[in-house]
This record gives sequence, structure tokens and C-alpha cells, in this order.
Amino acid sequence: MKLTRRMTLAAFAGMLALGTAAPAYAADLIAIITPSHDNPFFKAEAVGAEAKAKELGYEALVLVHDDDANKQSELIDTAIGRGAKAIILDNAGADATVAAVQKAKDAGVPSFLIDREINANGVAVAQIVSNNYQGAQLGAQEFVKLMGEKGNFVELVGKESDTNAGIRSKGYHDVIDDYPDLKMVAQQSANWSQTEAYAKMESILQANPDIKGVISGNDTMAMGAYAALVAANRKDVIVVGFDGSNDVRDSITAGGIKATVLQPAYAQAQMAVEQANDFIKNKKSPEKEKQLMDCVLINGDNAAKLETFALTN
Amino acid sequence: MGRPSPPFSVGADRHAEQQAAMLNIKPTWPILVVAVCISLTACKILPTPSGDGGNSAAFNPDKMVEDIWAAKVVPYLQRKAGPFAEVHALAKTDPASAGAKYGNPNKQANSPWTFAVRVEGKIIAANTGSRAATMDIDVDGDGKADARVQIGPAMRGTALRDSLDFIQFNDFTNQIDFAQFGKAFNAYANKTVLSKLPRDALEGRTAKVLGAYTLESGQDLPLVTPAEAEIGPKP
Repeated sequence: MKLTRRMTLAAFAGMLALGTAAPAYAADLIAIITPSHDNPFFKAEAVGAEAKAKELGYEALVLVHDDDANKQSELIDTAIGRGAKAIILDNAGADATVAAVQKAKDAGVPSFLIDREINANGVAVAQIVSNNYQGAQLGAQEFVKLMGEKGNFVELVGKESDTNAGIRSKGYHDVIDDYPDLKMVAQQSANWSQTEAYAKMESILQANPDIKGVISGNDTMAMGAYAALVAANRKDVIVVGFDGSNDVRDSITAGGIKATVLQPAYAQAQMAVEQANDFIKNKKSPEKEKQLMDCVLINGDNAAKLETFALTN
Repeated sequence: MGRPSPPFSVGADRHAEQQAAMLNIKPTWPILVVAVCISLTACKILPTPSGDGGNSAAFNPDKMVEDIWAAKVVPYLQRKAGPFAEVHALAKTDPASAGAKYGNPNKQANSPWTFAVRVEGKIIAANTGSRAATMDIDVDGDGKADARVQIGPAMRGTALRDSLDFIQFNDFTNQIDFAQFGKAFNAYANKTVLSKLPRDALEGRTAKVLGAYTLESGQDLPLVTPAEAEIGPKP
């Protein structure tokens, strides 16, 4: 008993010594929290943010919340506990995230949101969001043109918990619903997943062989749908995606998928870290909290200029 | 901590009894209380579903546009707009100056510039087969189209919204509200102005338009969204 207590005390003293000594030489920490890196889009965000953080002399703590608001809340706790100086966050839900970001703010850790916005102002320091609605309108306009303003089509929707799944779907319909000769014969969620989109497309195609187009909420689902169409010998079906991934770029240049919409993921993540750095070092907040970044239509004309979620000139 | 209220107590009591039975002791209140607490901590608290993406029920973009159209939007465009040839010449060489003079200098960071313009000239082509109908206007009399004017019913973009210097994205809850507000301008213009325009034999007639356009790359012709439009009689 006595020995145990002495050891505990020694360990405690050791921890104290470590705790006080560490900040003298360790770099400040920036936490980078995104959805799963299985999707190259989120990976590009994490890679972009991490590269910029290191370039500016920070240590980076890269975490994934898998679009689970509970897990996100735990990761925010981890970031606070680890003494992060800022959190770069691609969040897990416009409403569910507000409390988690508020918690970080109350603990003195500023959050810089990327990609998806939250339904509150004044909680995060910055919200650098892709204008998904504008992007969806661009994609839908191209889709309408490719379809010749008429015919049956299918919509693949993203994961319901993700705000952008709803925003993109609304943006698509905002344009498409103005054309009464375009008829949606199926609308299903494939949860952003390529394999799920493949399976869903197979069954949709069996029930609706007369489809002319597929508009997808993201590129991974577009890839899955297109693979199912190729397997069914239906390369004639027009497929349009969203994100601007290298996979879809290659499909476009090979004459497969017809178009996608680029979100500047890499640049956006880097911009968030720069703003975090400015906040940490100079106590300077960006001029506007919500900063919308426009998306760009990618089709056969410019696909060759696309590389890792950025357009070269 | 008192006795749990009846609707809750049935399941909780049974749970407690089972636990008490397993422990092979008589259920007494303190143990029940502990058991209830254990069963509560074992529950996973699930997040409330976030609805339709935060588009609040009270938000009515059509009404908002209707309320400001005659009082603010049209007077603003009349005051700011320049003749198309003049605006476009400056837009091509110095978009920021053109934006400050004819548009909204407080626009979003990476979004393209949008300008208020007057387009007056001769209709030299029209595409009324599409629901996104347009007419191509020659403003300088050289026989070539200079601008393409949307005449609906389907319309692209948010040029009217984006030309206004008193509209800011940060005043909206989210991009859905902001976008629907943008679309409401097009819908209002279509309902009150464009749907009343003639559709047949447009070529050769004159057109007079007050509207806005966004400077975009890869466009065949600048695409103008009208707030006011008149088409002259057949020649």
C-alpha cells in the first residue's frame, strides 16, 4: 500500500514535470477533423490542412468522425484535452455540430469550419464553405442540356446526416424541376458510397430500363452507378457527379461520365489553416465568418486541367 | 430522488427486479434507484435529426423579393446600370473597377463580378424552343450578337441578387436560404415581366432590357437576367 502510494506520487510528479516541460519545445497543435478518408475528397482536405499547418510550424492532429455527431463530440473533447490551439473541422451535421463547436469555444479553442456550414453564426471563427447550391445548379444545368431537356432520370442522394447531401439535392431540383419533360423515376440514397451506388443502380435499372440519365450527389456514387451501367451494357446513360475527383476526371476524358462539379477542397482547407494561424498569432478574425467559395463545372472542355481537387491554368 | 412516475416505473421496476433477482436480494428502494441509474447510463443518447438542412419555415424568399422589388431593386438597377457596351468593355479590362461602379463591391471572395446593365438593340436570334429561352441582342449595329438575354420561364444564375450591394450572404442562415432568395428574383421577374413578352418572330424586333449579368469564363455570350424588358413591334 505504502509502496503503491509512493509510486503514484512519483508518477504524478513525473507527469507534472512533463506537463510543464513539454510546451517549452513542443510545437502548438492544430486539430484537423473530417469525415472518413475513404472518400478522396475528405482526404484532400486533411492532407491540404496538415501540409499548411506543418509549413506554418504547427503539429497536426488528424482525426475522422465518420459523419457521426457523437464521435465528433468526443474528438472535440480530445482536441480540447490535448490543448489544441485551433480546430479545423469538416463537420457532421449543421444542427448537431453547433453544441460541439460551442463547447470548444467555451474551452478557449477556436474552430475554423470547412466544406459544410452550421446553422449558427458567432460560434465558429470562420466557416469557409463550398457553395454547394451554386455548384449543384451548375451540374444540373449541364445535366439538363445533356438530356436535351427531356427524359427519365435517376437521382442518387448522399448521406442524410450530411448537410451537403440535402443542399445538393435541392440545388439539382431547383434547376431540373423547371423542366416538366424531365421525369425523376427513382431517387435513392447510396450514402456517398461507391459499392452501395453500384448495387442501387443495378436494381433501379432493372425496374426502370428506360432511363436516360443519372445525376449523383457525389463522384464516388457516380463512379459506382457508371460501373453498374457499363456492366449492364448501358453506356448510353448520361451520368453527372459532384466533387471533381481524379477518378471522375479520368472517366470524363475517357468518354464515360459526362460532367462533375469541382469543389476547391485542398485550397479551402489551406485557407482555413491560414486564418487559424492569423487568429492564434495576431488575434485576428477573418472579415466575414461565412465565406462562400464558388464551385466550377468540369466537363470534357476542362477535365484535363483537374488534379487533386484543384484546377491548373 | 423520489419514486419514478408511473409511465416510466413499469419497465424500470422490471429491470430493477431482474437485476435484484440476479443478485439474489430483495428489491428495496435504494437498490431500485441505483438500478435505474445504471439502466439510464447504459442508454445511448442519439442526436435529434437535423430536419431538411436548416431551411426554416418562416423564411419566405418570394415575399422578401416582392417587398423590395419596386422600392429598392428596380431603383438600384436604374441608378447603377450602364449601357451594355460601356459596362462590358470595362468588365473585360478591369473587372474590379467595373464591379465597384456597376455592381456589388462587397461580393463573396472568389465569386465572379456581377454588373447592372441596360441592353438596347436589335434581336438577331432567339431560342424559344428551350424552356430556358433566350434572345441574342446586337447593341452596336454590327449585325453580331453582343449579349444573350434570358426570357424564361427557366432561368440560370443569380445575377439580379448578386448585383445588389445591400444583400449579403452573412445575413442569411445558410446557403439554401441564400440560393432560394436568389432564385426568387428570377421567379419574380418571370412572373411580372418575362411571361408577358411575345415569343414568336422575335428576330428583327428591338429590345430594351434593364438587368444584370455575371462575368463568367467559357461563356459564348454574356447572359443577362432582366428585371425590366420591352420588345418592340414586328418590323
